[in-house]
Amino acid sequence: MLIRRAIDDAEAIARSRDGDLDAYAVLVARYTSRAHRAAYLLGAGEDADDVVQDAFVKAFRHLSRFRAGEPFGPWLLRIVANETKNLIRSRRRRDALVMRLSALETEVPAADSPADEVLAGERRVRLLAAISGLPDSERQVLVCRFFLDLSETETAQVLRWPVGSVKSRTWRALNRLRGLIASGEQDRVFNG
Amino acid sequence: MADSADRQAELESELRALSPALKLPPAADVTGTVRQRLQTRQARGRRGIPETGVLPRWRRLRVAVIAAAALLLLLAVTPQGRAAISHVLRFDGIELHQGPGPAPVPAPSGGASVPGRASLPGSRPMSVAQARRHVGFPVLAPASLGQPSKVVVADRGRVVSLIYGRTPYGPVRLDEFDGHLSLTLFMKFVVMSNVTEVWVNGEKGLWITGPQELIYIRRDGTPARASAEFTTGSTLIWGTRRVAVRMEGSFGETAALAIARSAR
Repeated sequence: MLIRRAIDDAEAIARSRDGDLDAYAVLVARYTSRAHRAAYLLGAGEDADDVVQDAFVKAFRHLSRFRAGEPFGPWLLRIVANETKNLIRSRRRRDALVMRLSALETEVPAADSPADEVLAGERRVRLLAAISGLPDSERQVLVCRFFLDLSETETAQVLRWPVGSVKSRTWRALNRLRGLIASGEQDRVFNG
Repeated sequence: MADSADRQAELESELRALSPALKLPPAADVTGTVRQRLQTRQARGRRGIPETGVLPRWRRLRVAVIAAAALLLLLAVTPQGRAAISHVLRFDGIELHQGPGPAPVPAPSGGASVPGRASLPGSRPMSVAQARRHVGFPVLAPASLGQPSKVVVADRGRVVSLIYGRTPYGPVRLDEFDGHLSLTLFMKFVVMSNVTEVWVNGEKGLWITGPQELIYIRRDGTPARASAEFTTGSTLIWGTRRVAVRMEGSFGETAALAIARSAR
């Protein structure tokens, strides 16, 4: 059987609300990798697939609360973020999160690469380590703004904070990050 | 204060540049599992069985049997045609759908729909060098095609299009975008049997023959209808970790792969 035509988000949502699971499957296919990236980076790590699955089941149940015309992505990510939070709360270990973030690509350059490339690589590693060391809320806001490419308003929606908190926490997080990197760089100058 | 704001902005762009370098495991396909869970729920709902709550063991068993039976029944009565639209092939921000799409919008100037037509929202022509400074991903230009005759940055730096007016394969168009955020940027309507998997520089790609309809998806998820256009030739889709490329032209697979390999 062939697909006759594709449907956009608005139509898929409208049909899903009426219980059309085929229409919902289109949304699931369309947003799985985005939801997975969010869950993973917000702290679910290896459990991201489970979070995504639960979030989609929950989102279907809550579709009646979805306001027509609003973008689906941030609305879904709000559920994903909440599921991730629940997962983290249920975990006994607190260290898991740090491990996940340190599993990021470090891009170790080849031995013969130019010096500035080596420096850029080192700086990335330091940046990532610094982000992992931030307090939860500050790390989350940076993940939303810069690793999920969400606007301030969307970040506020996803994390369930007022927009003002998104602004102030972003500012605080960037300041702290700069401090952490600067102290790291100073060490390097003195030692090298 | 201004200095502090500058340094803040610098760090922000550094973080954005770091985003594609994050290594994440691939997402599992949850479409089937989610559908199954929802089907079970729907079946329960119809039978008036509570969704949660603690039931005695014998009742739980009975619920399970009823749910399984209802699921089987649902599978049996669901018309085949309705199940079909869930088949969507996703690749690097491009969603492939089987069959013809909505009727293409005629070109505003009345001109023919050729791969050179800039049809994405907010298009701004500029040079390759300018485009490279303007967007947050590396722009790949195939060396074997020479200099592009036109470069367009669309939708506030979301897509860069390189157009080569005269090549041995007729006009060739490349649409490039940041593939790492897993957003859907294009919808394509194709005949699935015309899609084959290929390898370009060690990365998986797709080779699609024959005319296809193409629709651009805006940041808010709505399709830009005006961008619906028929591609005239065949298309090669490939990418690196940082950038995804959609290249169309009237070339064969071997020529397309050679052009892709020359992209720097």
